[in-house]
Amino acid sequence: MSEREFVIPVGPQHPALKEPESFLFTVDGEVVVDVEARIGYNHRGIEKAMESRNYIQNLYITERVCGICSNAHQTAYTGSVEEAGGIEIPERAKYIRVFVQELERLHSHLLWVGVAAHEIGFDTMFYLVWRDRELVMDLLEEISGNRVNYAMPTVGGVRRDLNKDNFMRYHKILDTVAERTNYYIKVASTEKTILERAVGVGYLGKEDMIRLSGCGPNARSSGVPCDIRKLSPYLIYDEIPFEHIYVDNGDVLGQVLVRVLETLEAVKICKWVLDNIPEGEIAVKFNPMQRLPEGEAAYLVEAQRGELIHYTISDGKNMPYRHKIRAPTMANIPSLIERLKGGYIADIPITLAGIDPCFSCTDRMVFYDEGKDKTWSWTEGELSKYRKEWYSK
Amino acid sequence: MAMERELLKNAFSKPCTVIYPFEKLEPPEGLRGKHEYDPEKCIGCGLCARICPSFSITLKGGPGPKCTGLLVDLGKCLFCGQCEEICPRDAIWLTTEYELAVINKEDGILDFERTPPPPKTTPKKVE
Amino acid sequence: MSSPFTTLVAVLIFPGLSFILTYGLWCQWVSRKAAARLQNRQGPLHTGWQGILQPLADFIKLLVNEDITPAAADKPVFNYSPIAVFALPLAATFLIPIQSLTNLWGWDPIVSFEGDLILILFLMSVVILAVFLGGWSSGSLFGAVGATRAALMMLAYEIPLGLVAIGPAILAGSLQISKIVDWQVASVNAFFRAPSIQGLAVVGVLFIGVVIYVICLLAELELKPFDISEAETEIVHGWQVEYSGKKLALLNAGHDVKMVLAAALVTSLFLGGPAGPILPPFVWFILKTTFCVLVLTNLSVLFARFRIDQMVSGAWKYLVPLAVLQVMAVVALSGVI
Repeated sequence: MSEREFVIPVGPQHPALKEPESFLFTVDGEVVVDVEARIGYNHRGIEKAMESRNYIQNLYITERVCGICSNAHQTAYTGSVEEAGGIEIPERAKYIRVFVQELERLHSHLLWVGVAAHEIGFDTMFYLVWRDRELVMDLLEEISGNRVNYAMPTVGGVRRDLNKDNFMRYHKILDTVAERTNYYIKVASTEKTILERAVGVGYLGKEDMIRLSGCGPNARSSGVPCDIRKLSPYLIYDEIPFEHIYVDNGDVLGQVLVRVLETLEAVKICKWVLDNIPEGEIAVKFNPMQRLPEGEAAYLVEAQRGELIHYTISDGKNMPYRHKIRAPTMANIPSLIERLKGGYIADIPITLAGIDPCFSCTDRMVFYDEGKDKTWSWTEGELSKYRKEWYSK
Repeated sequence: MAMERELLKNAFSKPCTVIYPFEKLEPPEGLRGKHEYDPEKCIGCGLCARICPSFSITLKGGPGPKCTGLLVDLGKCLFCGQCEEICPRDAIWLTTEYELAVINKEDGILDFERTPPPPKTTPKKVE
Repeated sequence: MSSPFTTLVAVLIFPGLSFILTYGLWCQWVSRKAAARLQNRQGPLHTGWQGILQPLADFIKLLVNEDITPAAADKPVFNYSPIAVFALPLAATFLIPIQSLTNLWGWDPIVSFEGDLILILFLMSVVILAVFLGGWSSGSLFGAVGATRAALMMLAYEIPLGLVAIGPAILAGSLQISKIVDWQVASVNAFFRAPSIQGLAVVGVLFIGVVIYVICLLAELELKPFDISEAETEIVHGWQVEYSGKKLALLNAGHDVKMVLAAALVTSLFLGGPAGPILPPFVWFILKTTFCVLVLTNLSVLFARFRIDQMVSGAWKYLVPLAVLQVMAVVALSGVI
């Protein structure tokens, strides 16, 4: 570090971060020279907790991995369990899962637009976007019985049915959301102060993005087509006509574009589902005490923030032997750090918000020896040895 | 300047927020809120207590005919509604009541009473 | 001012200290309520009618709060700069014509002399010095960054601010604010008696001036899009980050007084000051300044925040040349009239 440089800590507590995570910025004047990220402030031991609960109880734990992508986590979890157990779910259940998932994508992307506006100091847009997001939240509340943790998918189907009488109203609400989204696209593309803060900020090219293996809207804003819904379709996504959105701007504007265009696509998907949903059962029976055959399965879902992987191993009991969650923010952190370097201090919040970080899904435990500057993690055998020692004390 | 028209429109229309404690929105039908319990229907099987993912339900007195009611700790409850779904007699269900804040933790524990049925002499009479 | 007693009343009660402070709270309420309504929110609501007493309640609450001085702070500077931030704009308001105590239709300021406009500009610059010292001495990184940003911003907006303020002074042929007001009243009356093209040209040129002036005032008041030195999401309220309790209450009151001063300056230099038909001067003053506060509020909710480099280069690229051109146009026009 030269004489002119000093370190600014952003986090663990900072208004730009909605969840605790620490970034140490080495800055020269107003320019960021180097970034060091430290994760691990939010470790909750969810994967471990899942090993001592049965498959039905785990539904509600996976849902609480993240508040915003609760349904994505549940979809991935139920998908992996059904694949491991060889359970075939009814057609109508697939449609309802997609419907809720796309509604969740709608509200999540609108939330992000609001947060991004707030990060660049445009509070008016933040308030108005969130006001319009409320339409989607109310719709989800009506469908599922809760505003955030919908608890819609269950192993073997979904828990609540859609009522056909309300479809006209849902169509109208979705139309309003699309109209408002178009208005915000117009505002974002004509308001000069927004463009000044978004164009060229936090740039990362396509090659770098592939090298750093980002995912989700973060990667798609750099021109990497990586939508799991197109690349390896799950549920009924191979039947639904929708665009694979990716732009090659590579900056914050690209991230805004990807998200607002995906919002419009999500509206289209929701309307398609309402038009094409078949009649029938919504779930096959799954007993909470039911044992799953031995086996393993991984399930990929395109969550709002990117590729979400749930991997489950069953050893023949009624609870998973091991359940591994790979949340998208984890994959996006290397590219985030690259985006932050060379920017201004003023651009830190918007660049951080740009990947739509969800640190509570991300955090893993890693040991770090400060004296030796060495990091390591434990294998499963070491963990269980530690557990035995701890409980025998 | 792109939003000026929208702003002026807002200034002369009603605010979208409601003044919460004085003005309340109607919760939609099917909202998962506070628990309700029917002691007549309950058979004390304890399935709700066993399925609860956050272990917030406890059986008082023990399972079966010994059961004298339920304790539901709202502080632990996730409001997933799994207890309602699994109950074979629809004896526990969630209402749309959502204002559940309490000052003391103990006040957040719902105490449902149930008089256990008198011991039956012949098992044939059990419905 | 005729007697020492009326002077004392003028300084302490009306139109001095008490009036300005109360009026500052009113301006804060107007600003908060208007911003809320523009954003489709309710705004302050429960304290008094439509929450009109909320600013006062906030002020009292901050006075009661614990006052923490960080161990790393340079204590004397840290403690005294809020006083300066509060007192300097307050002193400057004494130079603004609001209402004469002896004459219902007069508007002599409490203090008035040839060149008081220069003094006001000077006081407004010194406030930034106090801000800088307060932020820098707080011993916080965010405070230091905020303080540097405040100083950088001053370098950008102070020059156009001063230049366009001189415009009306050149036209009036005086650097005394009350004389500028008198000139405006006289020329408006003359214009209504005999409309002329020159008069329209003066109005046009002064309109450019008032636009530049309002933009600079947004920066001076640290409102969006120029709240760069506060920037909550970036540097956690910037130079104010370590202030709490009484000092923060003083800073907030200082911000309110600055708001009054800014609105009063726009009113006095461009909108004819407290002069107006039928109603007494202070009523016109309140109407005009409240209008200015509304305009400032509307502008501040309309934009996203600029970056410091964009703000500084924008000010030097567009505002300064425009202000120079405006002054040149004013000089040319003053020869015509």
